[in-house]
Amino acid sequence: MNILICGVGGQGTVLASKILAESAVIDGSNVARTGETIGMSQRGGSVVSHVRTEGCDSPYIPLGEADLLIAFEKCEAARSIPFLKKGGKAIVSMTEIKPVAVSLGVMDYNSEAMERCINEHSEAVFLNPADNEFLQGKCANTFLLGAAVGNGLINISENAVKEAMKRLIKPKFYDINIKAFEAGMKACQE
Amino acid sequence: MKMNLLGNAAIAMGAKAAGVRFAAGYPGTPSTEIMETLSKTEYAKNIHMEWSINEKAAAEAAAGAAYSGQRVLVTMKQVGLNVASDPVMCLAYIGVKGGMVIVVADDPGPISSQTEQDTRAFAAYAHIPVLDPSSPEEAYEMTKYAFTLSEKIGRPVILRPTTKVCHASATVEVSDEVYEYNPDGFVKNPKWVIFPPLSYRRHIENFKIYNTMEQDDCEYNRACAAPESKIGIVTGGVTTAIVSDVLRDLDLKIKRLIVGRPYPFPTAKALDFAENVDEILVLEELEPFIEEQLQRIIPGDKIKGKYTETVPTAGELRYENIKNIICGFLGLGERAETACVCDVTLPGRAPVLCAGCPHRASFYAVKSAVKNRGKKAVYCGDIGCYTLGNAKPLETTDTCLCMGGGVTVAQGISSANPDTDAIAFIGDSTFFASGMTGVANAVYNRHNITVCILDNRTTAMTGGQPHPGTGKTILKEDTVKIEIAGVLTALGVGYVKECNPFDLEAATATAIEALDYDGVSCIVFKAPCIAVAPKPCVYEVIDCIGCRRCINEIGCPAISLNSDSGGNAVIDTQSCYGCGICETVCKPGKIHKAGGAV
Ligand SMILES: Cc1ncc(C[n+]2csc(CCOP(=O)(O)OP(=O)(O)O)c2C)c(N)n1
Repeated sequence: MNILICGVGGQGTVLASKILAESAVIDGSNVARTGETIGMSQRGGSVVSHVRTEGCDSPYIPLGEADLLIAFEKCEAARSIPFLKKGGKAIVSMTEIKPVAVSLGVMDYNSEAMERCINEHSEAVFLNPADNEFLQGKCANTFLLGAAVGNGLINISENAVKEAMKRLIKPKFYDINIKAFEAGMKACQE
Repeated sequence: MKMNLLGNAAIAMGAKAAGVRFAAGYPGTPSTEIMETLSKTEYAKNIHMEWSINEKAAAEAAAGAAYSGQRVLVTMKQVGLNVASDPVMCLAYIGVKGGMVIVVADDPGPISSQTEQDTRAFAAYAHIPVLDPSSPEEAYEMTKYAFTLSEKIGRPVILRPTTKVCHASATVEVSDEVYEYNPDGFVKNPKWVIFPPLSYRRHIENFKIYNTMEQDDCEYNRACAAPESKIGIVTGGVTTAIVSDVLRDLDLKIKRLIVGRPYPFPTAKALDFAENVDEILVLEELEPFIEEQLQRIIPGDKIKGKYTETVPTAGELRYENIKNIICGFLGLGERAETACVCDVTLPGRAPVLCAGCPHRASFYAVKSAVKNRGKKAVYCGDIGCYTLGNAKPLETTDTCLCMGGGVTVAQGISSANPDTDAIAFIGDSTFFASGMTGVANAVYNRHNITVCILDNRTTAMTGGQPHPGTGKTILKEDTVKIEIAGVLTALGVGYVKECNPFDLEAATATAIEALDYDGVSCIVFKAPCIAVAPKPCVYEVIDCIGCRRCINEIGCPAISLNSDSGGNAVIDTQSCYGCGICETVCKPGKIHKAGGAV
């Protein structure tokens, strides 16, 4: 299974990929691999995390090979579309984070065109931060994982994800993240 | 025990299993998490660990411990090796008693570095064996092996992972056992004193040792048979793993040579591998290191790589590049990409100074001072988050070379351009790492520059490590806090002032005063990084008139234009960090502290 997680530096994509890798192993995968973006891009740049669980030596998903895209931001979702298999699935937060250059009028943020492109190339579920409070805060990552699991888009059990969260999230933040995860599961099943 | 580990964490666990007793490093992407992971283990409490002031100090301190029989680990990024190259070069001659493993992380791309230098080439130049892991699993095993090898030959060993090993994770089988030994302490012996006659003898010895190793059977250099195959592929590092994926996906059986220890080069194995093949494709990132080694021993034009323009000379080698190169090499034609293409032009998203970053305020204050004086100014930047001050609208980085370089480059600029104010910006961690000598140089040689030290109380760019100005060690213990202003005064700087950059008016006045000063003047801008300070409040825009001054002046990522309301500014409360400089720059007075809870 190949899952690509994308977003903007600072949104918490790395934790999401760690949780996925950990839960895959809990659910019986022999190997889980991730490839992270750690470094300069974490200061508000584009970031992606690759998660792979079978039949690979390298953690990097080739273009056109991702089964699922989990996007924390709309423009980044569009940017990562080439990774997705034809007709691959996507969970997309409608959150818009406009680069400073857009505010300065140097570049365009064409929200509708982005949405159209995502729809054209994937079977996407869009989640609006206006309706899902967790998407606005620090728990967007666990919320989106919940959405992926809830919609049956990943072959990983709810319990495995919860166990992985227990291992990887500081006790202080565990409860709120479980709430976000469960809200995500529901948000998608509607 | 099976654990999902980042490559860097795997290296830390390998060092622990090898019984490392002294671990020193200086942060640098992509190496930083090695020390961070080790420092968080229980094991770390019983050994010495330190973030050294720079890579040179780390290597030298570790050398002393290794002379005394301890197993030592030194970590840095590739450019850190330039800083440490003096001790490391000499250590290749002097050698060690306890195993010394120097981890130097390379960064093909480059993704987060100044250069695309190749530590394998450095290692060969210095005569130090180098290991090049292809995955986190292998990084774990190689780290343990590196300590054994170092002790066996009495020389340091370099482990050279690249970003895609350091920042990839895999499920690694980790043992709980720790290698036991009793270091016998430092024993006096002339062999620890480098003198020309000793260096001459060691040079001969080194050549002999490494020449012999070219014939050995190191498990990390291995050939994969494919009896039918008339061509061969040679790889090292993460490229080895990607080539395995590509060959599996294309269902190809090709003879391979995997070079996990590129220096000393496995000459015997390579000759054996090359015997019945007509053509050899070398796939490696960074320098054509393996390619040159093969050319040394295999005559003719069998070898295809960077020199034949078969393989790109810069940047990462991704799956798609490799697949295309292999298909081209085999005459299978370019593979059409199956990936979908998005026809929308997307705005690029380069990294930026965070909302609330104190550097933005410091830059803005100095820029305002420069405007006020009406004299030309050149901003000599340096390496850190503040390099991002280059972007619009701040544009306060005209030069950036290497760590600590800004302070000294400014001296040359000032000397060559007397009509210009030369202003250097340097972070607090960088100041300690290599800025102090530059300031002393300026004072001694009577340069006329202004140095702005951006003291945010952390090493922010690399993820927030403590440094000598923070009063904390890597193990979070209390230690002496070295005051930057005190250091500057002691160095003989005539004008030293501390100020809070968020008090824009006072900060600008200070900057004017400093620029007026004839000689070396220093301002220490003190305000913590948002990663180490709590969020005080957030700001909001009420009745915006749409003048865009906030956006055009400071370029804060929390402020954007609301397309629904005709281009008025809005502040995203999630990312706003309450620094308040937007309130100061909003001439119409429409930005205010928001009332509600944060
Ligand atoms: C020789 C060398 N060592 C290490 C690094 C990695 N590195 C990049 S920026 C930086 C320091 C940043 O800290 P600071 O100067 O305090 O600035 P800040 O990022 O906090 O603004 C380091 C260590 C490097 N680029 N070069």
